[in-house]
Amino acid sequence: MDPVAPNGNELLLALLAMGLPLLSFFLVFFVTRPWVNLSCAVSLVCSGLPLSAAVWLLAGHWRMEAPILWQLTWMEGGGALVTFGFLLDPLSLLMLVIVTAVSFLVQVYSLGYMAGDPGKAKYYAFLSLFAWSMISLVLASGLMQLYIFWELVGLSSYLLIGFWHHKFSASQAGKKAFVMTRLGDLGFFLGIIVLLLNLGDLSILGLNQQAAARLTPGLLTASALLIFCGVVGKSAQFPLLTWLPDAMEGPTPVSALLHSATMVAAGVYLVSRLFPFYQGSPQALGWVLVIGTVTMLLSSTMAMVAEDIKQVWAYSTVSQLGFMLMGLGAGGYFAGVYHLATHAAFKALLFLCSGVFIHQYATNDFFAMARAGARGLKVPMLTLTLAGAALSGVWPLAGFFSKETVLAALAELPNPAWLWLGILGAGLTAYYTFRLLFVMWRPRRLEPPPEHGERAGHGAHEGHGAAVYWVMAAPLLVLAALTVLLGAAGPALQSFLAWGRPLPAGAHHTWLVWASVLVVATGAGLAWLEFGRAGAAQQGFLSRMPGLWNLFANRWYLDWLYRWLLDHVVYGLFSRLFTLNDRRVVDGGIDGFCRATLGAGWLFSLLQSGLLQYNLFTMVLVMALVGLYFLLV
Amino acid sequence: MNSLHTYLFIALVLFCIGLFGLLKRRSLIGMLISVELMLNGAGLNFMAFNRFLAPDPAVGQVAVLFIMGIAAAEAAIALSLILALFRKIRSVNVEQARQLKG
Amino acid sequence: MTPVMGEYIRPEAVAWAAFILVTALTFVGALIAVLPRNIIYNVFGLATCILGVAGLFIFLGSEFLAMMEILIYIGAISIAIVFAIMLSQPMHVQIPPAWRPKLYLSFAVSAVVFVAFSIIVLRTPWEVALERGQDWTVRRLGELFLTRYELLFELISLALLVAIIGAIITAAALGGGRKSEGGS
Repeated sequence: MDPVAPNGNELLLALLAMGLPLLSFFLVFFVTRPWVNLSCAVSLVCSGLPLSAAVWLLAGHWRMEAPILWQLTWMEGGGALVTFGFLLDPLSLLMLVIVTAVSFLVQVYSLGYMAGDPGKAKYYAFLSLFAWSMISLVLASGLMQLYIFWELVGLSSYLLIGFWHHKFSASQAGKKAFVMTRLGDLGFFLGIIVLLLNLGDLSILGLNQQAAARLTPGLLTASALLIFCGVVGKSAQFPLLTWLPDAMEGPTPVSALLHSATMVAAGVYLVSRLFPFYQGSPQALGWVLVIGTVTMLLSSTMAMVAEDIKQVWAYSTVSQLGFMLMGLGAGGYFAGVYHLATHAAFKALLFLCSGVFIHQYATNDFFAMARAGARGLKVPMLTLTLAGAALSGVWPLAGFFSKETVLAALAELPNPAWLWLGILGAGLTAYYTFRLLFVMWRPRRLEPPPEHGERAGHGAHEGHGAAVYWVMAAPLLVLAALTVLLGAAGPALQSFLAWGRPLPAGAHHTWLVWASVLVVATGAGLAWLEFGRAGAAQQGFLSRMPGLWNLFANRWYLDWLYRWLLDHVVYGLFSRLFTLNDRRVVDGGIDGFCRATLGAGWLFSLLQSGLLQYNLFTMVLVMALVGLYFLLV
Repeated sequence: MNSLHTYLFIALVLFCIGLFGLLKRRSLIGMLISVELMLNGAGLNFMAFNRFLAPDPAVGQVAVLFIMGIAAAEAAIALSLILALFRKIRSVNVEQARQLKG
Repeated sequence: MTPVMGEYIRPEAVAWAAFILVTALTFVGALIAVLPRNIIYNVFGLATCILGVAGLFIFLGSEFLAMMEILIYIGAISIAIVFAIMLSQPMHVQIPPAWRPKLYLSFAVSAVVFVAFSIIVLRTPWEVALERGQDWTVRRLGELFLTRYELLFELISLALLVAIIGAIITAAALGGGRKSEGGS
């Protein structure tokens, strides 16, 4: 279907959504930074208005039939055309709403969470930058534009993860996130170059409609896999997954933003954005499926042993992203996108709830939180439970429906192993989620709450009192409502994403629903046995298997593997070779050149006797000989 | 005596004697004298062409007058330079002015 | 060249003798200007040579130029050179004997140049202009200087002025140096 140009209203709204957060960034960063409250107000307004614009656009185009495209030519030449603009279609509209909604809620929440932090205004500036990058990424009409904002998302997440930069681990984590995602982005950029050279057209619509026909299968697969490298980095997929758990060093609202709607979602969004393109290459989709599966299982096992509440959710994010990619890789476009949407809601909720506890008890260890009386905080506790249930896929919450969709997509695959791996992952998810919930609800022994938090950068000040608590609790309630409602919105979203056409009649596997319910119940039951029931040791079966425990707790030694690769391959092999090359070839060449120059200079200086008349000799002789040459030859 | 070649060769001989002196003499004043000889050779050439070939006999004379003017200027400059050099190194021997030796 | 003389001495012979005389003056003067190591002889050689060139100018039809030649070269340049000799006292400075190879080299280079120019002179097909004016008067020269060649005339005047100022400055800037060096 051919794209149509936007009318004035749509143009204005889209540009508003794309421009306001940037405006807010500049305003806050350069102008209003000394006035904290004003900065927060500017930032909130500039993220609230895009949200309204996004909702307006979504509502106005609920039955849209053709994508709306507005683009300007940015670079043209050599058969290549790079454009800049925005593309409105169901996917980008849905994503736009998610991004703006989550970032607005996070900004509201941060009012309480960051209260009293000396860098609050700067923090809001960075949040605006983050939102701007992600909104522009979502609306990008071409791959080059998408790539630019993709990198900007990386930059702003670096800024926010390392926000408490005086904390060594935070700055390290920021760096790690930046470098590891950059590794993947290298592949992404190469993929863009391959497409630009061979296709000359980087527009998303063009890629989706024509790439399969105009590229050879090998090139198509190669470029799809290269682009997927970027996804692997950005969405923290295997083998580049360890940066995300470390990224917990940032403020918790940032984690919520990072994990639900912006940074990591960008990877999955990119695959969905280019889904028809990927469909052209079954091999590439197969790799997406494999990487997604491996990531999901690996990170689920890591989450089973983590004791830091944010770590658990971080591993769970990685695993859920892997789950989305499984859905996409299995050919379930709607499954992946739907899970992305519901996950954004309940994962943001999980992090924001955790943030309340962390803010209150100044610890990340959920055992300690529970002992300190976490269940006394009713709103966060209830919403946490709700979101956890959604995460593990309990009926009738959103997670249940999206998970079923993904599993249904997996069931379509000829090889049943994928389905069983998916169901296994669902069981693991239920286990680690309920482990955390039971620990929180049923602490072994209660301790008196600690007096004041000692966290660097911000403290849990009792003085803020109820106001802060409710500022932080309000977004939780909104997200909780979304978590419940999105489950019911499934069919509507599906028809929206399919341009309102009748749904393909997929086989409905009733047994699948029962199987997954059974698995979730098993996981939850196991968690109940070990953590929930009265007298449970709260240790988990894994603690009786030290080998596995160590493997999981050390993230399958992935970091160790990176270290080893870095030490032996990069430093030991490449660096050594490069050093040798530097010393012998480059330095030697330059030294030799210098010596040759000096020697030649010395030789020529012999000619400079300082005797004027020998210069004259040469001059006259040469002129005469040249004259003779022209005369006689 | 009334042919172009005669005068051209006289001028050429004059020029080459001047060149020889310019290359040989170590005294800067000697070199200056040699340059004057070369300029005269050139002037003689102009007059020879003027006499035997040129459409307007005045043009060659104009050129020679210009050469004389240039020669006068050149002599003034060269002599003051020679004086300067002499005050610097107490000599007008060009082989002793070797500050530019590499 | 009156008919009276013609009975005993043919005018052509007189002209020949005069031509040979001026040519010889030119060459001998040039050689004296170049060869002797005493700088005063060189200046006299230059003057002699200039006289010969002035004579050649007369043979080439321009008495005015001959006069200017003597006026400028002998009257101005030679005198300036003599002043330079007096000021720089080269007579006192012992000039070491010439280095023989340099002499031969100079000669060889000059010979090469001579050969090159001879070939040019001989091989060029010199062509006489189709219409030739006969106006050799000084009036014509003056008119040309103030009309067609006016810009050049101005330029050469300017060049002379600059040269003279430059010469004065060069000499004056080093006048202080001379003072500091004492009354040597």
